[in-house]
Amino acid sequence: MIDEARLKILTEGAKYDVSCSSSGSGRKNEGGIGNGFAAGCCHSFTPDGRCISLLKILMSNDCVYNCKYCPNRCDLDIPRASATPEEIAELTLDFYKRNYIEGLFLSSAVEKSPNYTMERLVRTVKLLRNRYGFYGYIHLKGIPRADGELVREGAKYADRMSYNIELPSERSLKLLAPQKSKESLLLPMRTLFEERTAFRAEKRKERFLPAGQTTQMIVGASPEPDGQIVRLTQSLYRTMGLKRVYYSSYVPIVHDSLLPDLPAGQLREHRLYQADWLLRFYGFTAEEIAPENENLPLDLDPKCAWALRNPQFFPVEVNRAPLEALLRVPGVGGRSAQKIIEARKYTALTFEHLKKMRVVLKRARHFLTAGGKFYGAKDEREIRALLTAGERNDSARQLSLFSGAAYAALTGEL
Amino acid sequence: MIYFTDGTKESFLTAFLLSYGDEDAYVTSAQKQLALGQETIFVSADAARAERAEQRLLAFDKGCMKDLSFLLRSGEENREQIALRYLRLVAEKKAPVREMLTEEPVLAASECIRRVTFELHRMKGFVRFLECASGALYAPLSPDHDIVDLLVPHFRARLPGFPFVLHDVSRKKAAIYDGKNIFTAPLASAEVALSANEAEWQSLWKRYYRSVNIPSRERLRQMRGYMPVRYWKFMPEFH
Repeated sequence: MIDEARLKILTEGAKYDVSCSSSGSGRKNEGGIGNGFAAGCCHSFTPDGRCISLLKILMSNDCVYNCKYCPNRCDLDIPRASATPEEIAELTLDFYKRNYIEGLFLSSAVEKSPNYTMERLVRTVKLLRNRYGFYGYIHLKGIPRADGELVREGAKYADRMSYNIELPSERSLKLLAPQKSKESLLLPMRTLFEERTAFRAEKRKERFLPAGQTTQMIVGASPEPDGQIVRLTQSLYRTMGLKRVYYSSYVPIVHDSLLPDLPAGQLREHRLYQADWLLRFYGFTAEEIAPENENLPLDLDPKCAWALRNPQFFPVEVNRAPLEALLRVPGVGGRSAQKIIEARKYTALTFEHLKKMRVVLKRARHFLTAGGKFYGAKDEREIRALLTAGERNDSARQLSLFSGAAYAALTGEL
Repeated sequence: MIYFTDGTKESFLTAFLLSYGDEDAYVTSAQKQLALGQETIFVSADAARAERAEQRLLAFDKGCMKDLSFLLRSGEENREQIALRYLRLVAEKKAPVREMLTEEPVLAASECIRRVTFELHRMKGFVRFLECASGALYAPLSPDHDIVDLLVPHFRARLPGFPFVLHDVSRKKAAIYDGKNIFTAPLASAEVALSANEAEWQSLWKRYYRSVNIPSRERLRQMRGYMPVRYWKFMPEFH
């Protein structure tokens, strides 16, 4: 059994990784312990509002790299610890059995060398799958510059893998993470993507990353504007087939002359996630969301901002508009759009109906008609004033207390 | 007229037939104080009548008995009345009504079902097993809705080698998997002999829970929104 002191060190070193999702894998139990739960499952929530789904832990925090932003960088004088594959496997199984967790998210500092580290990660995963018959969720972190064969071996046993691209541009990566390079992160990502695609095309029996790949980048440690970040995100979805791109707003844990002293705003991270949602679920393109050299507005969510820039698209008639058009209405989410489409088959919808169906009209009323009736403000200036007035209160609260309820589900349980 | 049922589906369906045509019918299984002058009837389950009602409703909507089963599991006092109004609409329209979201009874039923299935989903994460000395697992819980037996297939699928007990301590009933079979039984209280390592694993879990939090980003309101305080009682990380 691992001791509490090392568990603390190895958990604290891993906690800034945002991803905690356990969705996307329906791995079946074949006589051992555990299975995948494709919808994902949150087991607890910590006071920072994040969900605990997986046991998120480092194999070691003893790093030979010196990435400027990292709490585990080698030139820091902090307590170091490592765990053995046996200890991690035992911890996973005993937590899993008690229903504390949905599986394991195993990562590591680069201990000794990339291959040494990757080999230990893979050994742990194989131990869990082969010796202990563990069928629960495993998210395995890829170690940059580790041998391709080792990485592929890991991918055969994991449900999901991730290489963090760390920073939104090659230039920043060179400056802040000199021992990593764009190629060392993107190349294995691409190889895994191609291999996974081939596995699927050939309908092979073995599994290969059923829950795909994700990545993460730090926002606010380097100067890239949101427009550039959203474009990068879009290209990662399109060319690498990623399932999720996570953002983590920069927290100054270590001081360095190359890094800002102030944390990046939580609100900026929130806006980026909203933009990411627009890309994945609402049919928007990066080009529609923000100009390349600009940041997303803080006083408006990106969908409202788009709507105000495109008045020719509105108002949309709820009784006739196709799903894609409803999804572009500010304040109307996937569930509301679905409800509207179901209900209007039976009757002509009025604003009263929408209210009863709990479609939130605070923002939507400026962009909708119901049976030709319009209840929004009369011109763009007034609409903007109303939308930003509400937002300003929300964002002020969010900035001071970090408690915005609108933060819904952005912390990685999806 | 108030129709008192015994809480079972059969009794409810019997009341459904008996109350047909009664505009002011109120069906409930809650043992409430009666106001003077209210007409009441106690409806005991009548298998033949219940079957007749079920078949008639199923002919209009194949899925409506599943809806009914969720509705009757709700912990809300007016659950039978919500179900009555919903199924009356099915009978009136002679067709499935679940997408007619502008109809008040449909809205009430779909929101009620959603609360039950949402808690079912939540509990798949929030259940905490204690390891007994015998190796079996025991989880006390106190859900808003009557769902313990619906949790069993989920845990059996992932822990087929572990007998377990899901104990609804407020309804005093248990859903049990004995390693082979699944059944429910009344259970008022349970004496559990814990395994030798149980306390140590719990304290490791608490250590993990404290360490994975980022204190500089406190968002307690959000946390409580996702995991309401009433669920904390049986979770070791909060004790």
